[in-house]
Amino acid sequence: MKQRAIKIALTTLVLVGAFSGLLYSTLRDGTEYYKHVEEVSGEPSRWYGKKLQLHGFVVDKSILRRRDSLDYRFKIQSNGSVIDARYTGVVPDTFKDGSEVVLKGTLGPDGFDVAPNGVMAKCPSKYEPGK
Amino acid sequence: MPSLGTFVLLAAFVMGAYAAAASVVGARRRSRRLIESGLGAFYLVTALMVLASGIIVHAFVTNNYAIKYVQRYSDMAQPLAYKLASYWGGLDGSILFWVFLLSVFGAIAVHSNRERQRELIPYVVATIAIVEMFFLFLMVIHNNPFETYLTETHADGAGLNPLLQNFYVAFHPPALYIGFVGMTIPFAFGMAALITGYLDDSWLRAVRRWTMISWFALSFGLVLGMLWAYEELGWGGYWGWDPVENAGLLPWFTATAFLHSVMVQERRGMLRVWNVSLVIVTFFLTIFGTFMTRSGVVQSVHAFGEDRELALMFTVFMVLMLGVSFGYVIHRLPLLKSRHELDSWVSKEAAFLANNWVLLFSAFFVLFATMFPTISEALMNQRLTVGPPFFNKWMAPIGLILLILTGVGPLLAWRKSTVRNLREQFLWPVVSAIVVGGAVVALGVRVWSSGLCFALSAFVFGTIAQEFWRGARVRQGGTGTDVLTALVGLVARSRRRYGGYVIHLGIVLMFLGFAGEGFKTEEQVLMKPGQQTTLRGYTVRYDGIRITDDGQKQMVTGHVTLFRDGKQVGAMEPGRHFFRKREEEPTTEVAIRRGVAEDVYVVLAGYDMQTQSATLMLVVNPLVNWIWFGFAVMAMGTGIALLPESTFAFAAARAPAGTVTATLLLLSLLLWPAALAAAEPQHVETPQSAAVEVARTPVEKELWRELVCMCGTCGRKKIGDFCCGYAAQMRAEVRTLLDQGRTKDQIFAYYIEKYGSQEPLAAPIDEGFNRLAWLLPYVFGAAGLGLIVTMAMRWSRKPASAAADDGATEARVEADQSLSTRLDDELRDLD
Repeated sequence: MKQRAIKIALTTLVLVGAFSGLLYSTLRDGTEYYKHVEEVSGEPSRWYGKKLQLHGFVVDKSILRRRDSLDYRFKIQSNGSVIDARYTGVVPDTFKDGSEVVLKGTLGPDGFDVAPNGVMAKCPSKYEPGK
Repeated sequence: MPSLGTFVLLAAFVMGAYAAAASVVGARRRSRRLIESGLGAFYLVTALMVLASGIIVHAFVTNNYAIKYVQRYSDMAQPLAYKLASYWGGLDGSILFWVFLLSVFGAIAVHSNRERQRELIPYVVATIAIVEMFFLFLMVIHNNPFETYLTETHADGAGLNPLLQNFYVAFHPPALYIGFVGMTIPFAFGMAALITGYLDDSWLRAVRRWTMISWFALSFGLVLGMLWAYEELGWGGYWGWDPVENAGLLPWFTATAFLHSVMVQERRGMLRVWNVSLVIVTFFLTIFGTFMTRSGVVQSVHAFGEDRELALMFTVFMVLMLGVSFGYVIHRLPLLKSRHELDSWVSKEAAFLANNWVLLFSAFFVLFATMFPTISEALMNQRLTVGPPFFNKWMAPIGLILLILTGVGPLLAWRKSTVRNLREQFLWPVVSAIVVGGAVVALGVRVWSSGLCFALSAFVFGTIAQEFWRGARVRQGGTGTDVLTALVGLVARSRRRYGGYVIHLGIVLMFLGFAGEGFKTEEQVLMKPGQQTTLRGYTVRYDGIRITDDGQKQMVTGHVTLFRDGKQVGAMEPGRHFFRKREEEPTTEVAIRRGVAEDVYVVLAGYDMQTQSATLMLVVNPLVNWIWFGFAVMAMGTGIALLPESTFAFAAARAPAGTVTATLLLLSLLLWPAALAAAEPQHVETPQSAAVEVARTPVEKELWRELVCMCGTCGRKKIGDFCCGYAAQMRAEVRTLLDQGRTKDQIFAYYIEKYGSQEPLAAPIDEGFNRLAWLLPYVFGAAGLGLIVTMAMRWSRKPASAAADDGATEARVEADQSLSTRLDDELRDLD
């Protein structure tokens, strides 16, 4: 009985250890920090190259689109801080001046590079009517 | 009406409380009469819930916009079917629907087991009644679907979200809820077994079928959700590891685990604690899933209303439930001792155990990753999120391990496999895996996980084929018929086993579809009319856009022509629909060209009326249809496994579901070339001017909808559909007639005279069905009333002793019969 308990304990320990190790290593390159613009703009160099999800609002009249292409440049702000963003691809319908967005991508010295399909405008809920 | 609804909910709450109390007291005091009265109250709750459902449906059908819920989730313009679907369109209604289903299921389960499981029934009733009470409490206190506006009056409703106005979504929530609610039944029986201490295997037998049905409904709901995401949301995929999707997946994992581990307990008397725990965990996850999606604990792109109060109530309920149930498990541990130990790791039991561990791990991993933002915020004050890539990184290998086990399990023997039968059993499946694996390497499949998936699928397929073949050969030797007859006889004799194999086959086909995901190609292009682009051997030509209106919505349609190897293979019309009152949230109408090998999937992502240019998202999705087809096979397998003595009602309700999907999918797979060969439209497209033509007056708009284009090739499209130049002429004609001051009827008369028949008029709305639908709530109400009356009549009969002699003997005979059936049952179990 005692031997069995030890066996079980050891097996669990090894398994849990292996899984935690795996989990930790995959989490390290799988996670994205969820940040508001003002949290990042204070010390931008700290966040260079890290995967971010940036939350903010599109600055009015800042959306520029290159003619006959899907290249967008726009600014997002929250609580007074502003960051430039670049994106190529399809934007959701709700992406307009002043709309609340979450951008996936990385921050660099000359602004925020949005990943493909990385623009998420606040999606009206599937179930609740728009308020 | 609304106040009656609220009253019914309150009455149901009180009745539920009485049912729980009377059952428990009756069981403890061994008082037959109290137990019976508890049962009666329990059935009465069911009747009341039917009535409440009738009231809310009635409110939807009669457009009673005084009720907040009705005002928020439906409107006048909605087709009737979607008015009914609005019942579960929002939170309050879904809770009502939930309790309605639970009370009906509970009544059926209790009624069908009332003789066989006499000792358990009172506690089953009490458990279900308490769960019902929790949800009724939620409704009465917090989310009353019958709540009315105090002073405001609304002439029309806000309308159901257009995204939800889709054929699949009409069935998706009910299927999921049937699955969720069905899991409550096994939980109730498990709790009753724990409380009474009757922990032999009989409670498992009572719930096996329920688990199977719920599991299937849950799978069906998940697949419908995938279909909906694929066709309605237009992002090119079907599963995004969204918290809401995961919430439905969690109980599916544990329920699947339970379905497998039950077999081990039946055959070998092992894993008793494990099974009881799995039932509890599954039930917990159904509640937790509801909580997760509704309380805003996990923020996802679906911004669900964050609701502290609701979150608190749910948390209290869940903590209590877990505490009480696991407290009982620990209390009963001595009784749950297993009869056998695991003899060897090379055995069916071990394979089942491994499968269970992997499934449970999947459930907890998905739970952990879904809650990760919440957990990280609580622990580190940093909101960290994990995206779909992280899920895929973990779940792809886990899925492959499960696939291996699917193939290995059936090949192993119970207790201990010898080396000789390992060789015998594994030879052909392994050979088939190696052949396919070799082919994959030779063809140079770049995505290793998909290639591995193909090889493993071949292995599982080999296993299943071998099982069927060997079984049929053995039976053929015994009965001396041909192989096919032997096969049918074999399946009919052990339905569960071979039904299970067919389900496995369906899973393998679904895995093929998942493997195809690795070869997906996606491109986003901005195009001007006449421009072309190529993608994976297809050439896509963009021809222009057109705007039409049908009164409920304005439709922007892009016209795209698809070529393959220089040959035109089809015209595609991706579009956006702007529903009335919801112009801010256009819905995406995806154009999909389905195929056995791959789907071509086109989305109109953006457009510019001035330049006629459009942004298109083009996706090629290989093998995706095998997912739906695999599910149809799964449905067949479930049908085979459930075929016997399953209650008639379910057989009737489920067979069509399974067969219909199967047939539809088969048809869609067989008929797509025919559909593609459909004639090209013959009329000339007139390029629409950039300025959109709109009706000036309501009367004109109506006429646009009620007159048909008479060009002869438009196929009775309305003139408001902007189908061709002829329609434009007719619209101009209508405008001049209106300017002359003619009324609608006079214009109709003018057209009837002009064309010599009623042909120019669009068909009048069919009144018959609508009238029938008006009857529905009354039928519901009458059924509820009838139930109440019959119950009341039956219980108010004098007890047998006071009745005439013949009555007494009758009762005695009845009692004898029920006793003897029970005896038979129990003796049968001793075999």
